[in-house]
Amino acid sequence: MTDSNQLVAKVRGLVSNQASILVGVLAVLTIVFTVIEPKFFSVATANNILTDWGSVVLIAVGQTFVVISGGIDLSVGAIIGLSGVVSAYVMANVMGYTSGTPAQDAYWPLLVGTIVSVAVGAVVGLVNAVLINKTRIVPFIATLATMGACLGLSVIFSSGMPIGGPNDFNLIAAMDYNTNPFSVVVILVAVVVAIAGLFLHKARFGLYTYAIGSNSFAARAAGINVEKHITKIYALSGALSGLAGMYVYIRLGAGSPSSGTGRELDAIAAVVIGGASLMGGVGRIWGTVLGTLILFTVQSGLIMIGVAPDWKKVVVAVLIAAAVAAQTLQKKNGQR
Amino acid sequence: MKRSVRAFAAFGAVAAVSLLATGCSSSSSTTTPTDKKLSIAFVMGAESDPFFQAMKVGAEAEAAAEGVDLIWQGDPKNYSPETQIPIVDTVLAQKPDGLVLIPTDPTALQASADKAIAQGIAVANVDTHVNDLSKVVTFITGDNADGGAKAADALATKIGYTAGKKYQVVIGLTSATATTNVARLEGFKAQVAAKYPGIEIKDVAYSESNPEKAASNVNNWLTKYPNLNGIFAIDGTNASGAASALEAKKLTGKIALVGYDAYPDNVAKVKSGIFTALIAQVPAEEARQAIKALVEYIKTGKTSVAHEVVIPNFAIDANTSDADLAKYTYVASK
Repeated sequence: MTDSNQLVAKVRGLVSNQASILVGVLAVLTIVFTVIEPKFFSVATANNILTDWGSVVLIAVGQTFVVISGGIDLSVGAIIGLSGVVSAYVMANVMGYTSGTPAQDAYWPLLVGTIVSVAVGAVVGLVNAVLINKTRIVPFIATLATMGACLGLSVIFSSGMPIGGPNDFNLIAAMDYNTNPFSVVVILVAVVVAIAGLFLHKARFGLYTYAIGSNSFAARAAGINVEKHITKIYALSGALSGLAGMYVYIRLGAGSPSSGTGRELDAIAAVVIGGASLMGGVGRIWGTVLGTLILFTVQSGLIMIGVAPDWKKVVVAVLIAAAVAAQTLQKKNGQR
Repeated sequence: MKRSVRAFAAFGAVAAVSLLATGCSSSSSTTTPTDKKLSIAFVMGAESDPFFQAMKVGAEAEAAAEGVDLIWQGDPKNYSPETQIPIVDTVLAQKPDGLVLIPTDPTALQASADKAIAQGIAVANVDTHVNDLSKVVTFITGDNADGGAKAADALATKIGYTAGKKYQVVIGLTSATATTNVARLEGFKAQVAAKYPGIEIKDVAYSESNPEKAASNVNNWLTKYPNLNGIFAIDGTNASGAASALEAKKLTGKIALVGYDAYPDNVAKVKSGIFTALIAQVPAEEARQAIKALVEYIKTGKTSVAHEVVIPNFAIDANTSDADLAKYTYVASK
């Protein structure tokens, strides 16, 4: 009797655990897609999903910090485009490396490009912070404005056309299409995400972020410099978006002004699927990591099982709504 | 919501706003065409589209050659009548002598064209047209259906099409509603049905103007269809995405890839064998002819340019001459 009670308690604990629910969702999706299309369960598919995951998880992790602090950052997608274009411009037009540069010579310009890309993102993040802190524009409008400005600037920089530059496509290819779905850049992204997770969950930085998102007045009363911390959060979100811009550059071998189109919504969807609350104060990096994985598992799966493209958006929307609803219900159960 | 859209437009249109400002100042002094320079307004679809950027180069060159002022306008990002109509209104308030309009919707922009004509402004359409062309000086467009057919030919040649055999092809679009995409798709399908019945179109997917999504679609297709023979990437965005997906999977040259739009970066990839062929439009030429027609019409009341002009698309491949490459590669405007 006691044993079975313990078991029930254990199961209940596991079910009410956010991460295990998301893992469960992922498992169910994988099984359903595999039953319909056996090719779905393959290293190649895992590589496709992880490759898509790499860029969006970076902006989604930045978005997680922002959302937990009670804000929103709509500029992340546009930063991908702008930072990619600016770093491509620097590598190709300033440093003189082209798409014809041999792969082994591409690493130095790619490193410079990464620094440029992250710097561009961080600067846009700082502009967001200034608009929010100094002019008191709400984050939604402030980041909508910088989103527009970034889109405009990336067209000015590129004339709307992709700028090709040096690259080594081996960086984005699977290490082995038969056995290992990870690519070098996906592993690097995972390391960055893990470090961000430590910052959020194990450092004072994260503590302040939760405090501000839960109650910014109380946080201020407790002696937290709220403006300063908000600045850091938006700069971090911008810098991670810049890094995502470089990731997409490596994926495409070119900086393209439209390469972040619509990604802000993917990031927000991933964060929400991951269990963060748009009201602030709630969210986990694990949730975002799995939320992004679920998003791209669905998108890959729908192509693999041959859902007509017009229906894909509807199916994705329904799945997101279902995922969020399931979590809300689970939270209610947990409170009981 | 309206306010937020305005805020977006205001901040996003850094370039467009400054252009508008220069346009205002230049045209306010050119209200009487007889003793001042003629001014031609050019309202296109979306500033961020390389197609219109390439068109701008032709428009600027012809305006300079004809000695007329060019007022270049359009929404920075959105190809839609909601954003275009107010832009046309603003431009008409500057009283240009001529208007080249690329209507984002044939019905929604009819009233704007009528209003311009009623004000005595000569109107030309480029790329797309309003429903009633009777009072429009000329309509100049590229033939997208012909481009789709040329893509089918290039693909069939690359895969060594033999009657009786089966071939698998997939098509990357940007959306279901982009009219140029639809025309190219129909042209492709019609040519396949007529000449290459063994080619089977297995799937289509949308990139939503994002090259990374285009790459993702191709990745998934490559997994689902291990015997895939060819890809038709129907616009510049899909072309970039598809090329990079094949490069990452080391399949370039093994799978036929026909793209669209001659971005310099993509043209370089024709030479290196990543693209089987690239279908190019001639946006600069379209703009040039439209401005030429309007200037002639304003000065003499008639024009040597036909009422409707269709400029065929051109297939760039590894054998294309340098002269043709120079002619068809989109040039970035500065």
